[in-house]
Amino acid sequence: MLQLDKVRKVFPAAPEPYVALDGVDLEVADGEILCLLGPSGCGKSTLLNVLAGFERPSAGSVSCRGAPVRGAGRDRVMFFQDAGSALFPWLNVEENVRFGLRVRKVPKAQWAGIIDNYLRMVDLDRHRNKFPAQLSGGMRQRLQIARALAVEPAVLLMDEPFAALDALTRRRIHAVLLEIWQRTGKTIVFVTHDIAEAITLGDRIGIMSAGPCSIISKIIDLDLPRPRDLADPAVARLFNDIERLLAPDIARAEERAAH
Amino acid sequence: MSVAEISKGKPAEVAGRPRPSLAPLRNFAAVPGRGVLLTAGSIAIAFLSWQVLSTFIFNPFLIPPPLEVIRTAIPMILSGEILADVSISMSRVLVGFAFGSLAAIVFGVLLGRLQLLHDLLDPIIELMRYLSPTAMIPIAVIWFGIGELSKYFLIFWGTFFIVLVNTIAGVWRAPIARQRAAECLGANQLQIFVLVVIPSAAPYIVTGMRVAMASSFMSIIPAEILAADSGIGYLLQKSSMLLQTNRIFVALLTICLLGFVFDRIFRFLVARTLARFMSFVAVT
Repeated sequence: MLQLDKVRKVFPAAPEPYVALDGVDLEVADGEILCLLGPSGCGKSTLLNVLAGFERPSAGSVSCRGAPVRGAGRDRVMFFQDAGSALFPWLNVEENVRFGLRVRKVPKAQWAGIIDNYLRMVDLDRHRNKFPAQLSGGMRQRLQIARALAVEPAVLLMDEPFAALDALTRRRIHAVLLEIWQRTGKTIVFVTHDIAEAITLGDRIGIMSAGPCSIISKIIDLDLPRPRDLADPAVARLFNDIERLLAPDIARAEERAAH
Repeated sequence: MSVAEISKGKPAEVAGRPRPSLAPLRNFAAVPGRGVLLTAGSIAIAFLSWQVLSTFIFNPFLIPPPLEVIRTAIPMILSGEILADVSISMSRVLVGFAFGSLAAIVFGVLLGRLQLLHDLLDPIIELMRYLSPTAMIPIAVIWFGIGELSKYFLIFWGTFFIVLVNTIAGVWRAPIARQRAAECLGANQLQIFVLVVIPSAAPYIVTGMRVAMASSFMSIIPAEILAADSGIGYLLQKSSMLLQTNRIFVALLTICLLGFVFDRIFRFLVARTLARFMSFVAVT
């Protein structure tokens, strides 16, 4: 499905160029949830921007279903953490979802059905006339999900979408996302710095090393049934293992941030 | 008291001792029409002090008391003299403001989007925007005479730079996440620009227009004082030459009222037509 081959990303900077990604290899299978986990500044978002096609890699190649990625494509939709700026605040809930249908020239006769379907899926159909400013943080993220699903992408690219939500809301939206994923079989690449979130959602977890020159240092397969309970001993053990694995990189990231 | 009560915002009651004496004052915040009452009170106090000051302390010729001003105003209103001056001044403001805003929005949207053009023109704009309309009066008179055209030009000039700078800022600050989201949903560059960037800039543009409207009111007066034979500014100038302080005060009051009313109308129109573009200003 998605394939990255020796991807390098270098940003021009003074006094010397900043190497964000230094040879990232990654394969994402159809219909899986891959979580990218790493300390802040490890290039997770850069990697996602490369996958989305917003950034061109400086070296290496990116492909989606065998076709090289050359810019934002209709098959990959990106999610943003700050829904307030990602949504269209002058459009109400229904119109936000309609936007993608309109620009993709989906026949008008289908609009109502598609909008109803996805708004119901994220439980926003009762709020269809509200504007984003009138929604809670969790509802805004659910609207982002509905808006993305409506254009029927194969891949969802999610950049710490729930990091700003409170813990209870986050748990609820995880359940919503997993349910949708089970129903639609989307491929999801989910960036997070929250170990628990990665364990809750992922089929696999890719651990990224602290920047600069980030790579995916390890991939962990999660052979655990969902829903996963952090109190479960097997899950707890995994949590601790990952925490230990990340510790030196978190320390390194902190040192860097202090400069 | 239970947590639920606290969260509902019930005021804490001191055990067994209600204090009713302060209640009417506290409740004033909830009186309907409180804003109108306070505004009326503020104006009443101002008029009263003005009347007292100009009657008993200052020379009533230099500061004519409000009753005197009103007595002067009535025949000016009835004869249509004020209305004629007001409408000529307002038509100058509106024409200059409309064309200035339109030109600035078109130009600003382009400059906000085309980096090279912006970098080329920005230094010039940064220098030229310090040329206030007042500074441009002498040359405007030479270029356009003392007819309507020179006034249109001066208001245009004042409006243009204010709206331009705001429009550029608004286009620049259209969130990158919103543009990328639109791109993912399938919008092409033109659609992103028209359907996302420009609506995102709307609050900045409207704010710029409101400031420009106020500035137009400020600049029409000197323009008419120095180079016109009609309008409120001309009324001020003529009355000053004839030492008619009463009439000067009528003109000054008229300016206050007009500015206030125009800003209200502007806000009302914005609320009516652009509410959905303005409502999110408070949202990050």
